[in-house]
Amino acid sequence: MMTQASPATRFLTIKNSMLGLLGIFAIVASQFGGGYMVYLINLVCIFTLVSIGLNLLVGFSGQISLGHAGFFAIGAYASGLLGKNLDMPFWLSIPLGSMVATAIGALIALPALRLKNLYLAIATLGFGIVTQKLIFEWRAFTGGGGGLQVPLPKFADYDLSDGRHMFWAILFCLVIGAWMANKVAHGRTGRALAMLRESEVAAGCLGIRISHYKVIAFALSAFYAAIAGGLYAYLVRYINPESFNTNMSIMFLAMIVIGGMGSIPGALMGAAFYVIVPELLRGFKEAPGLVFGLSLVAVMVLMPTGLIGIWRKFEAKKS
Amino acid sequence: MKLDNLQVKSVSVSFGGVQAVRNVSFTVEPGRIVGLIGPNGAGKSSLLNCISGLSRPDAGSVMLGSKELVGLRPDQIAECGLGRVFQHPEVIGELSVLDNLLVACHRNLQFSVLSEMLGLPSVRQAEMKAREEVEKVARLVGLHESLQMNAASLPYGHRKLLELGRVILLGSKLLLLDEPIAGLNEAEIEQLAQLIMTLRSKGNLSVLLVEHNMGLVRQLCDEAVVLDAGQVIAQGTPEQVLNDPKVLLAYLGEVVENA
Amino acid sequence: MIAELIIGGLASGSLYALIAIAIVLVLQATDIPNFAQGEMSMFSTFVAYTILNRYGLSWWGVLPLTLVLAAIQGVIVQQVVIRPLLGAPVLNAVIATLGLNIALHSLAAMIWGAQTHVMQSPLADVPNFKFFGVNVAPDSALSIVVSVAMILIFTLVLRHTRAGIALRAASQNQAVAKLMGIPINRAFAMAWAMGAVAGAVAGLLVAPIVFLDVNMMSPLLIKGFAGAVLGGLGSLGSVFVGGLMLGVIENLMSAYISASFSEALSFLLIIFVLIVAPSGIFGRVKTKKV
Repeated sequence: MMTQASPATRFLTIKNSMLGLLGIFAIVASQFGGGYMVYLINLVCIFTLVSIGLNLLVGFSGQISLGHAGFFAIGAYASGLLGKNLDMPFWLSIPLGSMVATAIGALIALPALRLKNLYLAIATLGFGIVTQKLIFEWRAFTGGGGGLQVPLPKFADYDLSDGRHMFWAILFCLVIGAWMANKVAHGRTGRALAMLRESEVAAGCLGIRISHYKVIAFALSAFYAAIAGGLYAYLVRYINPESFNTNMSIMFLAMIVIGGMGSIPGALMGAAFYVIVPELLRGFKEAPGLVFGLSLVAVMVLMPTGLIGIWRKFEAKKS
Repeated sequence: MKLDNLQVKSVSVSFGGVQAVRNVSFTVEPGRIVGLIGPNGAGKSSLLNCISGLSRPDAGSVMLGSKELVGLRPDQIAECGLGRVFQHPEVIGELSVLDNLLVACHRNLQFSVLSEMLGLPSVRQAEMKAREEVEKVARLVGLHESLQMNAASLPYGHRKLLELGRVILLGSKLLLLDEPIAGLNEAEIEQLAQLIMTLRSKGNLSVLLVEHNMGLVRQLCDEAVVLDAGQVIAQGTPEQVLNDPKVLLAYLGEVVENA
Repeated sequence: MIAELIIGGLASGSLYALIAIAIVLVLQATDIPNFAQGEMSMFSTFVAYTILNRYGLSWWGVLPLTLVLAAIQGVIVQQVVIRPLLGAPVLNAVIATLGLNIALHSLAAMIWGAQTHVMQSPLADVPNFKFFGVNVAPDSALSIVVSVAMILIFTLVLRHTRAGIALRAASQNQAVAKLMGIPINRAFAMAWAMGAVAGAVAGLLVAPIVFLDVNMMSPLLIKGFAGAVLGGLGSLGSVFVGGLMLGVIENLMSAYISASFSEALSFLLIIFVLIVAPSGIFGRVKTKKV
């Protein structure tokens, strides 16, 4: 019979304590830090959501996506447009807009079922490019290259446009999103996805419906990216298609790789890396690109389990 | 699941112009252990792949009881009661042995992804039940000490036991074992052989076994089917088959282990 | 009118084909899609440009040096980035080459700045000529001729030289090749050297047409992959045809359907082709034994 530690001691692991401390830091900094610091913290939370979702697809299921900026963009535009054209409050337009992206994600999974590796990479790359182009060309609807002005995020009559207030909405989504992803990762779906990655052939013979799970992986990752996109739209209040390009898709991949694939704390680390590095290197024009590029190479060659892998080795050595 | 017989009827398979399996027919009666033997390249793996749904035969049918398996997806065939154990065990290294075994527990874990995400109590209950089943099966195959271990640190022999545990958890009534003792030492071979016989009697299973080791075939199998160049050249008890001159001829040039 | 569109499409398609060849040389040999190929080519081209301007050599004088440097570049990338990733999932190499792509791009921008330069063409003095009544720039014609020449040369190398045959053996089955005493590492280094050389040739031919700047190759890389996938990754010939086809299809779509959507439409077409024929139009899937 397995011995069970009491719920309290199981909860107070080093990892959870660190996350807790980080959370407290984020809350304090967001409320009392300068406007720019608040903005950065909000961005980190938003991109952590993207990473968590992308992790389910790439880290767990072993699929490649070079076009996730597309889902981020669809989430941003769908919620922004719902808010602008139908006067929908943000807490309604974001979930609804994300359903659109999720449906598209499920559709994208269908060709993905037959494609692997390089072919899947090209197909997802194509998806990202086509999405960006569609948003750009559909001028009448999306505002095209001129961009879209997103209305104020309002909860009842309470105006959340201040970053410090928007932070609570974003944090709420992040906590719930992380909690749900954790449930999925450690349950039946997570195991099925991992088996899928290990060997599709063996997975099939174990009764796992491969197409079903691939669609779930794509749809979930699209959902997370879209919610993040919606939050992003209401945070920055002005979006335009140029930012949702292939480079952003690659950066999304970079986040989970550098942070550590298949891990939620890793997602946070990757997102932090993505937001903070360009800030640290602000004076040097091309430096962020160089640092990101080299980091990607270095992580893959030296430390494929990413930053969280380094942390785990450190933890293992201590025990 | 009830125990049915597996009927392979006139199955032919070709790949890229090469005829791998030619008009093969045989039956695995309920509760029997049938050995599928033959020299390398005889088409045994191709036949197993057909039966488990990984490839389609050009002609013929595979029936489990009254159900036609040809045309079904591998996961559908698994749901019908056919459990395939591969030659090389596929385990998820980063997960525990317990989690690896849980992969096979579909029947208890029937709920939507949404319920899973919301962490509903029904999900938690189902998981607990599944875990109890896993512990029972782990005890049966001898893995209950290793349940919390990372699957990556399992020795090869134990990985084979894990695969066997999975098909039991799947509820399979017909096991397809592809060279199950390859890579095992003598003690492990004996352990696995005993396990298969226990499963057959206690679990009321049938087994189709691809093997090269004639000693094991003699020990375990009620019947043997011999394939050579894609065709059945002999069928019968292991004694009959291993003394058949056609079979010996087919194996000439091959090292026949423990004959 | 349609002749113009087709020939124009062949012209742009020839650029895609050049890059596709470089990509597939490496992909066939080592199973790794080199997403850094574009920036590697751009880098080699800038190096050539610098040598041209600083030392006043002729284009033909710079060529051999550029090719040698490109070969070295390929070997370095393979040794430092790719070799450690042997045996790891392909995804790792994809990400590593993507990272290399970004790094090289930034590095080039740091070294050579953001300006656009005019790159000398080897055929600077050759006038336009007419083909089926359509004006053809000699640079475009050269791209096609060189593509075909490269395919022939590399195919000959792969089929009839010891090193080439060793490389093909190594790419088919590493374990067996090792047992036969084939130096896998050297074979793969050679493959990457060949890819880098093909890439440098691509860059040198592309630059006079689209002008030389650090962003020169980024759009072409994606098209190169797309064209290669369209034609099927089975052989150098099929990706060559795929690249040309992509150019022609894009041009036709641009004229008859929509100029601004032509790129997006081409991708949709490719995705559609992949759904119907997962290994491209001429491709054959490498089968794995279960």
